[in-house]
Amino acid sequence: MANAMLHQTVGTFQLLGNSGTRCEIRNNSVKLIPRGFEVEVGLSKRKIYSSREWKLGVIRASASQTSVVDPVLAPSNNGTRESPTKSNEAALILIRHGESLWNEKNLFTGCVDVPLTKKGVEEAIEAGRRISNIPVDMIYTSALIRAQMTAMLAMTQHRRKKVPIIMHNESEQAKAWSQIYSEETIKQSIPVIAAWQLNERMYGELQGLNKQETAERFGKEKVHEWRRSYDIPPSNGESLEMCAQRAVAYFRDNIEPQLQSGKSVMIAAHGNSLRSIIMYLDKLTSQEVISLELSTGIPMLYIFKEDNFIRRGSPVAPTETGVYAYTRGLARYRQKLDEMLH
Amino acid sequence: MANAMLHQTVGTLQLLSNSGIHCQVGNNSVRLLPRDLKVELGFSKRGSNSFGEKKFSVIQASASLTSVFDPVLSPSNKGPHESLKKSNEAALILIRHGESLWNEKNLFTGCVDVPLTKKGVEEAIEAGKRISNIPVDMIFTSALIRAQMTAMLAMTQHRRKKVPIIMHNENEQARLWSQIHSEDTIKQSIPVVAAWQLNERMYGELQGLNKQETADRFGKEKVHEWRRSYDIPPPNGESLEMCAQRAVAYFKDEIEPQLISGKNVMIAAHGNSLRSIIMYLDELTSQEVISLELSTGIPMLYIFKEGKFMRRGSPIAPTEAGVYAYTRRLAQYRQKLDETLN
Repeated sequence: MANAMLHQTVGTFQLLGNSGTRCEIRNNSVKLIPRGFEVEVGLSKRKIYSSREWKLGVIRASASQTSVVDPVLAPSNNGTRESPTKSNEAALILIRHGESLWNEKNLFTGCVDVPLTKKGVEEAIEAGRRISNIPVDMIYTSALIRAQMTAMLAMTQHRRKKVPIIMHNESEQAKAWSQIYSEETIKQSIPVIAAWQLNERMYGELQGLNKQETAERFGKEKVHEWRRSYDIPPSNGESLEMCAQRAVAYFRDNIEPQLQSGKSVMIAAHGNSLRSIIMYLDKLTSQEVISLELSTGIPMLYIFKEDNFIRRGSPVAPTETGVYAYTRGLARYRQKLDEMLH
Repeated sequence: MANAMLHQTVGTLQLLSNSGIHCQVGNNSVRLLPRDLKVELGFSKRGSNSFGEKKFSVIQASASLTSVFDPVLSPSNKGPHESLKKSNEAALILIRHGESLWNEKNLFTGCVDVPLTKKGVEEAIEAGKRISNIPVDMIFTSALIRAQMTAMLAMTQHRRKKVPIIMHNENEQARLWSQIHSEDTIKQSIPVVAAWQLNERMYGELQGLNKQETADRFGKEKVHEWRRSYDIPPPNGESLEMCAQRAVAYFKDEIEPQLISGKNVMIAAHGNSLRSIIMYLDELTSQEVISLELSTGIPMLYIFKEGKFMRRGSPIAPTEAGVYAYTRRLAQYRQKLDETLN
């Protein structure tokens, strides 16, 4: 019976597999769409790929699930509901904040705490609409207001019953003063944690300068080098490598355990801290991460399952380009990876 | 010449004073509208007063200007701008944040860090439109996101060229990382200072409870007493008196010096911390402050001049009731105060 069900599922895969990419599927029960999530299976929209790419994404996801389902626990024995909890799936949403007042003025921002523009506010609300159906149990933001506002604005659109509550641990008084005295209410809360480790890359002596000033003060080539290299920091600032080191460490120590325990997590942060994390999730090289651009205000969804991060692209992805822009080189690298998958 | 100008001004005042309120005007030059401020002379809209009330506020403001103007510096010698700088006037805007997610659920919030609802976001933007023409040189908020977001959302509507920048002094690294390295950029910044002393009154063991839970746990009368008394705190919480003590102390130590130096200040905070400050600005008694209700999302404007705070009501005040709602008793008390003014 289980096998019959399997057969059909496997049949579907094979059809889809005719896009030219081979997939091995072993004789295990496979779940295609995690029920608990009500997620539109997102597209990783890459400019050079056709609609077949979508199916590739689906196949890949299912393929990585094959190895993990216990043959004893076939869908016919348990309700399909049970399996998501048992297989410990969790959603991970990454949102890069939108336009800030210094973006508008073209000033190097880094860790200067500049708020959002009207446009940035709208981007955050739009992002919220896209993730309104994805469960969120915990929220992590940087210590900067533009990321925190992005998270809170996005959550005003969420169809949750739970309420985001920002945690305060900066002092004993802050902790005592922010205490909640109702168990019911605590259960209906989504803890929000602000962490400097998720801050934007710190740009040192470039912070607050415009293009002209930086060229005058340091010279055009030097500035270009700082922006584009992986490990050369600007004066008194961080290299991308240094930013990645503290962001990924924080992710592994604090966020990954939440995902492992089945909690769905949203991270609202910045271009460099998020691509550092994506470098870890997608196992990119330093060369690749330099070319990686994450669109502002467009949420990226990953499914965490059995220690694997499966990229699902952007929920309810619109058809316009640039949703998740990959460079050509990066896309080719990924194709090679998928062919090697089994 | 100066006298001739004076005569006209005084003439105007007398006419207005035919609404039934006496005003003594000394033989000094009086300026009615501070030019730099571009303020619509706001009304303190009080439910029980008639239209005559409007003119009353104007007279009141002008009357207090008379004693401070140096007869040597009459308008015919210097332009109005100069006199303003010399008389060190500064605008003070108070904004109470709008609806939070727990307001919606009717839970005691206090110092729990609950964000705004969609409605609260709109209220903040609306507030911003009303103050878009009033200069702001510094912003103070509480340590809670709903006040910070209110300030930043309001400022997205401001017709400033300057950019609000949130100050970080929580530790050495935070301070260093947020440094701006361009003098020009610093000059174009509006420092935003977040202070726990401006937080909402801390409600102790009521925080997170709904009306039913509090009645069950503590009894209806006790809860009513805590809410309405001046000096009785809930368990592990603050009384209004305690809240006022730390809020007003902060205002006097940190905010007033800014106003004294001529800086225009905006404060985005909460019902209890703001009415504590208003108690200080308007010299209210504890009985009066208990009855004081500050509308959410409606900015209140004060002019600070020569150590005095003059309430100007709500900029571009709408005609609907409840903009700045006083109780009848409070209004009558005020009328008495003004009659004794000169």
